[in-house]
Amino acid sequence: MLLEMKEIDKAFSGVPVLKKAQLEVEKGEVHALLGENGAGKSTLMNVLTGVHPLDHGTVVFDGKHMDHITIKGSEDAGIAFVHQELNLFNEMTVWENIFLNKEIVKALGHCDKRSMVAKCRELFERLDVSIDPEEMVENLKTSEKQLLEISKALFFEAKLLILDEPTTALNNDEIDHLFQIIENLKKNGTSFIFISHKMPEIFRISDRYTVLRNGEYIASGNIADTNPEEITALLVGNTDSFKDIYETRPVGETVLKLHDYSGPGFENINLEVKKGQIIGLTGLQGAGSSELMQCMFGVTRATGGTLEANGNTVPPASTHRAMKAGIAMLASNRKENSVIPDMSLLENMYLAEHTLSAGRFAIHKREEKNKFENYRRMLNIKAQDSGDSILSLSGGNQQKVFLARWLNTNADILLLDNPTQGIDVGAKAEIYKLILQMAGEGKTILINTLEIPELQKIADYCAIFYEGRIVKILQHAELDEQTVMYYSTNAANI
Amino acid sequence: MVSSKNSVGRIISQYSFVIVFIAIFAVYAVVSNGLTWNGVMNILRHSAVIGIIGIGMGMVCITGEIDLSVGSMLALISGFAVVIFNITGSIAVSLLFCLGFGALCGAINGVLVGYVKMPAFIVTLATMLIYRSFAQYFCQIIPKDLCGGGSSVYRMINSKDSYQSFYGFGNGKIATVPIVGVVLILVVVLFTYITTSTKFGKKVYAIGSNEKGAAMNGINVNLMKTCVFIITGALVGAAAFLWIAMNASSDPATTGKSNEMYAIASAVLGGISMSGGRGKCLGILFGAMSYTVIDKIIVALKMDSLINDAIKGIILLVVILIQLAGPRLKERFSK
Repeated sequence: MLLEMKEIDKAFSGVPVLKKAQLEVEKGEVHALLGENGAGKSTLMNVLTGVHPLDHGTVVFDGKHMDHITIKGSEDAGIAFVHQELNLFNEMTVWENIFLNKEIVKALGHCDKRSMVAKCRELFERLDVSIDPEEMVENLKTSEKQLLEISKALFFEAKLLILDEPTTALNNDEIDHLFQIIENLKKNGTSFIFISHKMPEIFRISDRYTVLRNGEYIASGNIADTNPEEITALLVGNTDSFKDIYETRPVGETVLKLHDYSGPGFENINLEVKKGQIIGLTGLQGAGSSELMQCMFGVTRATGGTLEANGNTVPPASTHRAMKAGIAMLASNRKENSVIPDMSLLENMYLAEHTLSAGRFAIHKREEKNKFENYRRMLNIKAQDSGDSILSLSGGNQQKVFLARWLNTNADILLLDNPTQGIDVGAKAEIYKLILQMAGEGKTILINTLEIPELQKIADYCAIFYEGRIVKILQHAELDEQTVMYYSTNAANI
Repeated sequence: MVSSKNSVGRIISQYSFVIVFIAIFAVYAVVSNGLTWNGVMNILRHSAVIGIIGIGMGMVCITGEIDLSVGSMLALISGFAVVIFNITGSIAVSLLFCLGFGALCGAINGVLVGYVKMPAFIVTLATMLIYRSFAQYFCQIIPKDLCGGGSSVYRMINSKDSYQSFYGFGNGKIATVPIVGVVLILVVVLFTYITTSTKFGKKVYAIGSNEKGAAMNGINVNLMKTCVFIITGALVGAAAFLWIAMNASSDPATTGKSNEMYAIASAVLGGISMSGGRGKCLGILFGAMSYTVIDKIIVALKMDSLINDAIKGIILLVVILIQLAGPRLKERFSK
């Protein structure tokens, strides 16, 4: 047994996040750590790597009790965390990144560049990675950066590597390559904790699994003894949220028209959307659907074609004008694009509407509070007071506040870019219900998502993007995981 | 469900600038054997210029930017305003010139920061040098009678009809309260209203809190930043107007020297976050007054005025240290 974590408790400001969680990893295995968002996977890993101190519980690594785990201590013990967002320095070379703070020095602290580069090259050869050690990191592809992160961990002889969704930014060949490297290292006795949401990968690479739900240990076992359905059931617990809630609804006139619309990341998009419809947009990461939404909302400048909303041409490259034309966008990456961290729920809610009604200078606080109360009831926002900080809410409830923000602008065309990102299962189901309800009330909705089950729940039809173009339109009934993947990987044109 | 103890703690930490002021004021009360009403009112009077500049600086800081040019701007505007007064003899024209020219100086900063997207630190460092140099250079080359006959100082001509009322405005009192102090309070009230209760004010905070997020809310970030610099310029103009009303002259070499630093210090002492998004206008008033009281203490103790900046710097460090380290210590010892 390489790692034993037992009865781990951890609470943040009184809220328990881990409750008697446990995890055991053997030497030389790939162990899948599974759980929905918010199940406590990251917290458990942060405890293991010394980012957060644990409240109770024992951690035994490589036969040694680890009491007060520090980041340095866990690194020295041989645990390496390969983060999802890569911790590399773009302005430095590959070898500088690997040896940062661990430089090989000669007399007088002079860095021995030649031997460091040589050692890098040696390592890359052993791993069968073709990266030039003297290249600047900013010039590497995302997949190469991922491999560099892993190489960096291996260079200092990590015994346990934590891979947090390592395949998100990789294409199929690159995933194969990564898995090949993992297999080889496994044979040499290196262990892996593999965090992923992609079932096929989990079943392909892992030996055993542990499932967490709501901070509690649920189950563990051999991957060979189980199947995806069983794992899904373990992850989710109750299966209520899987109920099909889709129903067809009457649609109105065409309200949104894209004609040969082109911009950064997409080209020649032709689309007509009728009032009350829910249109799914999907494709691989970077296929152009998210880029299209940003351009429609004036974040980037269109290079050709026209965009018409409610019969009027929408002027390019101005978010404010897009809003005036009745378009709203719930942006992806909530933390970066939506959250105004120093502001209250109320302020976060009314901000967007106030850019439209800037002529009425003063804020009528009671009026705004009433509006907030209405949205709170309507969207079932779990908050105590409209004056609370936005950061006090969970991801799902934050997202509902931002939904209220855009409903408050009275926009009738809603662009939802990955609206359920980082939201737990229960809140997801609620958001789907709200989307269907809004469409029923006459809002026109475009939803960009990479999650196909999401599309099956709500989309009337779905446009599939590949390298910036729409390659296929699938009707609701045609939507299933295989078909969508078939078109989004452009398998149809092989 | 916030316990009453917690909410008291929150109010204390939000209004810590009042406590700092009271503490410094208590020291003053002790060392200045016998407080007088006039002495207290003098604090308000001497805080007026730096307080108004501080409000502008505070707005800029709330958007996450910085304006180093305010001190030089004060010298330039006040100097030129003296010239305008000497030509026209009109208080109203001088006031309009101050506000308008201030807005123009601010707009130069604003456009370069907001639209050209140059770093505010660099832009305002450059304009700091430029404005001060202009103030000194033009004082030398314009006809002597326009600067009131002085050699290197802009001096108001005291034979003008309106000179007495102008000077009286700067040094007079309404019901024992200095007029310039009343102006300061009015500016603080106005900007407290703007920052807390108007849509414009909330946008300023939103930009400082999350610039990308603000843009995604439809806020025109470039325009808003430019506007804030223009407002700061106009406020410096107002401060310049008070300056010449109080002093009847402006020395381009010393007027507003280091005022950008005092304004930043006042804002920070008043709880404005330098990374943007947080702080109160009321805090700046107290920050500025705290520094004025320190001046008074040094005078009362008959200390060399050269030690002044050291004490101001130390107090700034200590207060911020307590603000930052306090919560961390509390967290450590509460376990």
